[in-house]
Amino acid sequence: MAVLAVEGLRKSYRDLVAVDGLGFAVREGETYGLLGPNGAGKSTAISMIVGILAPDAGSVSAPPKARVGYVPQEVAVYPDLTARENLRFFSGMYGMRRAEAKSRTTEVLRLVGLSDRADEAVAKYSGGMQRRLNIAVGLLNRPSLLVLDEPTAGVDPQSRNAILDSVQRMTGEGLAVLYTTHYMEEAQRLCDRVGIIDHGRLLAEGTPAELGEPDLEAAFLRLTGRELRD
Amino acid sequence: MKIVLMAGLNLRRMFKDRTNIFFVLVAPFLLILVLGQLYGGGQQLRLGVVAGPGAPSERLASALASGSRVTVERLADEEALRAAVERGRLHAGLVIPASYDSGGGRVRHLVRATDIKSHDTGTWIRSIVRQEGARGQPSLPVRVTTTGKTPFPEGLNAYAIAAPGLLLMFTFLTSLTAALGLVESRAIGVTARLSAGPTRLRTIIAGEAAGRIAIALFQAVLIMLGSMALFGVSWGDPVGAVAVLLVFSLVGGGAGMLLGAAFRTPGPSISVAMLLGLGLPTLGGATIPLESFAEPMRTLAHLTPHAWGYDAFARLIRHGDGLTGVLPQLAVLGVLAVVLFALGTWRLRRALSG
Repeated sequence: MAVLAVEGLRKSYRDLVAVDGLGFAVREGETYGLLGPNGAGKSTAISMIVGILAPDAGSVSAPPKARVGYVPQEVAVYPDLTARENLRFFSGMYGMRRAEAKSRTTEVLRLVGLSDRADEAVAKYSGGMQRRLNIAVGLLNRPSLLVLDEPTAGVDPQSRNAILDSVQRMTGEGLAVLYTTHYMEEAQRLCDRVGIIDHGRLLAEGTPAELGEPDLEAAFLRLTGRELRD
Repeated sequence: MKIVLMAGLNLRRMFKDRTNIFFVLVAPFLLILVLGQLYGGGQQLRLGVVAGPGAPSERLASALASGSRVTVERLADEEALRAAVERGRLHAGLVIPASYDSGGGRVRHLVRATDIKSHDTGTWIRSIVRQEGARGQPSLPVRVTTTGKTPFPEGLNAYAIAAPGLLLMFTFLTSLTAALGLVESRAIGVTARLSAGPTRLRTIIAGEAAGRIAIALFQAVLIMLGSMALFGVSWGDPVGAVAVLLVFSLVGGGAGMLLGAAFRTPGPSISVAMLLGLGLPTLGGATIPLESFAEPMRTLAHLTPHAWGYDAFARLIRHGDGLTGVLPQLAVLGVLAVVLFALGTWRLRRALSG
């Protein structure tokens, strides 16, 4: 059963068509990777899926906002607050009561491995720790759909590995995940199915094995004629 | 509930920056102290006297010099006395005519209208003139008349001149600098993240607006209560004072909302905040009393909300007016607050709805 169904999604800014008739679905317990180079339209598509941007055309069928976890590309937490203060604030914005917010904050801190640094200002965290906190905020509301927009951008390999580990743990619990990245190795490690996107259009879709080629990088090169990290 | 949560977060974040602790909690009171001293709080009064050669005149001049807070300087003629008072070298002057020695005449007191200490010399002079007059000529009545208009009533606490202007200045300045928090929230994507959650856009905007108002109110209430406790400032009719404080806080909050919504990055917003936060109060009489402005500048000053706030507090503190006496000022400030919030809300909604 599809947790997320996107059909004919379109968004343009004056003459630039950022997303052009995009359509795909993510099933329960599935991790779906949206792959594309910078400027392919991934983040614009994500913004429409989570309701930040209004599409020009098309439709998005997703769980109610209270059941969607969104992890934006930028570290969207307050750097001057501690991790715990941030999580308590976002819990409140999800409508949780004090006791529930407190226990859920403790849970997600443990899940992303930040329990021992929870009361430090986020500004003092490494890039990888900030990214993990960014994910923790997206998990607060026990989502049925988790949308991760390039969650490992700009982090060191060790932190990236820790982030991928925690995403893999979560998908084992029946969570549907939409994951955008331009790192092929991440998509191959995490995703059950992959959609390759360029110029706002879905070029191909399938399991990494279905897409043929020795690996996804080669598939992408064949489909778009350019390197993924262009 | 979410609106209150956002307002509380805005207040808490303001104090996460330690420099704000100084600028919000300490700096206003330091400036009230300094300006209060400049306006004469605790100063020695310098009184110039032009007196006739007779014994009664001499006795009156000596009696005037007997006060511990008054230093008397003798001058040769009224022209020199007037020049010294006009230039501020002396707080006030007293002209004792030659006819005083023969049991009559009119003792004249020269003051500078905008110098609060000038007026403070009046109480002392009147008591001494009455006392000396009664001693020398018991049968002669002593009549005190005042000509001209004084903006500062006699006996006014010098800190009560400084405190209202500084309340207006810091409320507005803090509102604008704290708007940086809203700019940052948008720049780092927190506001967008919130709009992706189960919180309606109008709740997010209302929460940000409540945050701006909470910050402005915090600063204004702190200065009002702090100046009462530390410097004995009386703000006049409590209902009127609270009304002016509330409406001006809304103006500050509205200005913060508009600034926070208008800029995408913190750099330019802080420059504009400092420019407006310090420039408008200076133009509006918050640092130098409006009464000392020339007429064209006073008219120009009323393009700023500070001048209207200053007028309202002046009426309450110095002229004993109540709420009804400051209704015109409240109306102007109220309209301005509505306009600023409407513009800020519209701009923020546009920015967030992509």
